[in-house]
Amino acid sequence: MTIGTGLSLALILSACSGDSGGSGGGEADGAIEVWAHAGQAAESEALQSLVDEFNSSQEDVTAELTLIPEADYTSTIQSTSAEDLPEVMEMDAPTMASFVYDRKLIPLEDVVSAETLDNRIGGVEESGTYNDATYAVGMFDVGLGLWGNKALLDEAGIEAPTTADEAWTVDEFETHLAELAEVSPSGKAVDLGEANGFAAEWGTFTTTPDIWSAGGTLMLDGEAEGVLNSQQNVDALERWASWKEFADPNTSGTAFPDGETALTWTGNWMYPTFSEALGEDLVLMPLPDFGQGTKAGHGSWQWGATPAAEDNPEAAGAFLDFLLTDESIGAMVEANAAVPGSTSALEQSELYGPDKPLELFADNLASACGSEDVTEECVAVARPVTPGYPTVTSAFGSALLAIWGGADVQDELNSAARAIDSDFADNDGYQND
Amino acid sequence: MAAPAVSLLLLFVAVPFVASIGFSLYNVRLGDPRDPSFMGLTQYVRILTDPDVSGQFLDALLHNLIFAAVVVPVQTALALALALLVKKNIPGIGIFRSLYFLPVVFPIALVAIIWRLILARGDEGLLNSALTFFSGGTFGSQDWLGSELTALASVIVLSIWQGCGFQMVILLAALQQVPAELYEAAELDRANGWQRFVHVTLPGVRTTLVFVALYTTILSLRVFDQIYVLAKSGGGLNEDATRTVMYEAVTAAFDENNIGRASAISVVFFLIVVVLSLIQRRVTTEKEG
Repeated sequence: MTIGTGLSLALILSACSGDSGGSGGGEADGAIEVWAHAGQAAESEALQSLVDEFNSSQEDVTAELTLIPEADYTSTIQSTSAEDLPEVMEMDAPTMASFVYDRKLIPLEDVVSAETLDNRIGGVEESGTYNDATYAVGMFDVGLGLWGNKALLDEAGIEAPTTADEAWTVDEFETHLAELAEVSPSGKAVDLGEANGFAAEWGTFTTTPDIWSAGGTLMLDGEAEGVLNSQQNVDALERWASWKEFADPNTSGTAFPDGETALTWTGNWMYPTFSEALGEDLVLMPLPDFGQGTKAGHGSWQWGATPAAEDNPEAAGAFLDFLLTDESIGAMVEANAAVPGSTSALEQSELYGPDKPLELFADNLASACGSEDVTEECVAVARPVTPGYPTVTSAFGSALLAIWGGADVQDELNSAARAIDSDFADNDGYQND
Repeated sequence: MAAPAVSLLLLFVAVPFVASIGFSLYNVRLGDPRDPSFMGLTQYVRILTDPDVSGQFLDALLHNLIFAAVVVPVQTALALALALLVKKNIPGIGIFRSLYFLPVVFPIALVAIIWRLILARGDEGLLNSALTFFSGGTFGSQDWLGSELTALASVIVLSIWQGCGFQMVILLAALQQVPAELYEAAELDRANGWQRFVHVTLPGVRTTLVFVALYTTILSLRVFDQIYVLAKSGGGLNEDATRTVMYEAVTAAFDENNIGRASAISVVFFLIVVVLSLIQRRVTTEKEG
């Protein structure tokens, strides 16, 4: 424990008076502070120019943007007391419930306009809702898929599936991994995103589709025991770990766009890079089906307002409404190729829609469900919406890292389940509001 | 006279320490505005008896001790060897001194990223491709960071690489303080190089060596950055084979928001470090005496 941490904790504790009428920077002059994560360069540039555009578009409100590195973003919000937060902040979808529990977010029904709220696509609406209230609004949602290099697939004589119904079974996928390893220049068939770190949020995001597709899930009714360490999950993750021999560690960061591997398992945000590198050879496929239909994660970065905005909800609302116009959404999704978060922007999209390159992601989101009631029909599944999510993802991520390193899957999932349940028990299941 | 120092010590050491004893008795959550609930000694009981928590804590403690037991003697010896090497007054020696010192100015997190590329699993890793090349392919690719056999060793190697230059500079300063007359006298007595090293050099830098060893011990107990970076950001480091006490405390506090457990870990660790320091002090003062 460093000294600085100790002190800041003392400060946090002294601020534990439950007062929520702070005054961040929201003076009467209508200046608001905005915090966001520094994502990919193109995303951050797009956001900065949107903020500039907002400031020059009207006289009343000035938004000041602060970018925080992505790796530290969530812990920064976590360790900042509610009254020191900016009026408007970004958050990753699965962390939303935990910030609501910490009283760092306010309901948006009276902040954002009704038109904006009604225009959201289903996935964004779901990611922003907790305890029947809207706490976050997203400019976009994400898709996760299997991308292929058509030239290498053809060389191996493999046909790429294009719709969720045609998804490879996991057995077919494993057969193809062996075949594609033969034709991939690196000798490895797939980049599974190892370089992003399986112990981080990426690990949870990228492997949960496997367990949902196998009929498992992370938690049910606030319990992980018997759910997280179920036989379905053990089998699915054993298979996932067995792909290591075909997986490129991708130390260069460009294995797939360089044509070194035939496949990569990643999200829509890589589309601009991939399509520039591979052009017509880029194909998007659903993730393999473990028996209960192909699944994919969803839920991405979204925006909320903090108690600091309560003094001047109009200013925060004006900014959020501006971010959620079709023009703003269009500028952002041009940078990250995400699924536009409003119905009208989705209809105009160049990438999403019938016969467009990323149609699959939009179709996946059209059949979305929560992680507690995964059906065979739904494709896009949200990570658990619970204030205890930080512990869930931390314990599960540690287990994934160990499993990838060759540890026993059942043992790792057992201890992750115990860690999660113990944390929930200490906090009364995060029920007290 | 001592008032400023004492007040700073109180403010920055005593107050946080007493606060963390307080935190460790409550269920304190990072960022939670609710009043913390009293848990008594539950966190301590878990650290010492709960199979999961205690298993990880004891593993972490063991890794710290292994790290210290290897790094302190090896790094000190290596630093002394390097200092003797760059002590010579030949043209261009400044370049070598700078080169050996260079890693010290890199933040350890950056060093971890560099070594991630060197130790990467698969044929792309620099170390693997070099070994494959020199062994003519008989030596296959190893997963240096992922295997439980080599994970801690890998961390130790990169830590020594980063830290050695600093000790070298301190020892170099000490070596230059050893009076030249002593070496001349030793040469008159027909002492060979080894004897000169044992009877003149070592006694001359003994105090500095003790200081360097103490300092390295303290650093060894604080190991955190390189392990966190390599485990959490895609290095594929085997967490179970390398976790340290600091890593346990930081991940409990900031990944799981469990300030109570993190504080309890810190308090237990503080007591262990105090005991170790007392032992070390006794041993070194006996040597000095």
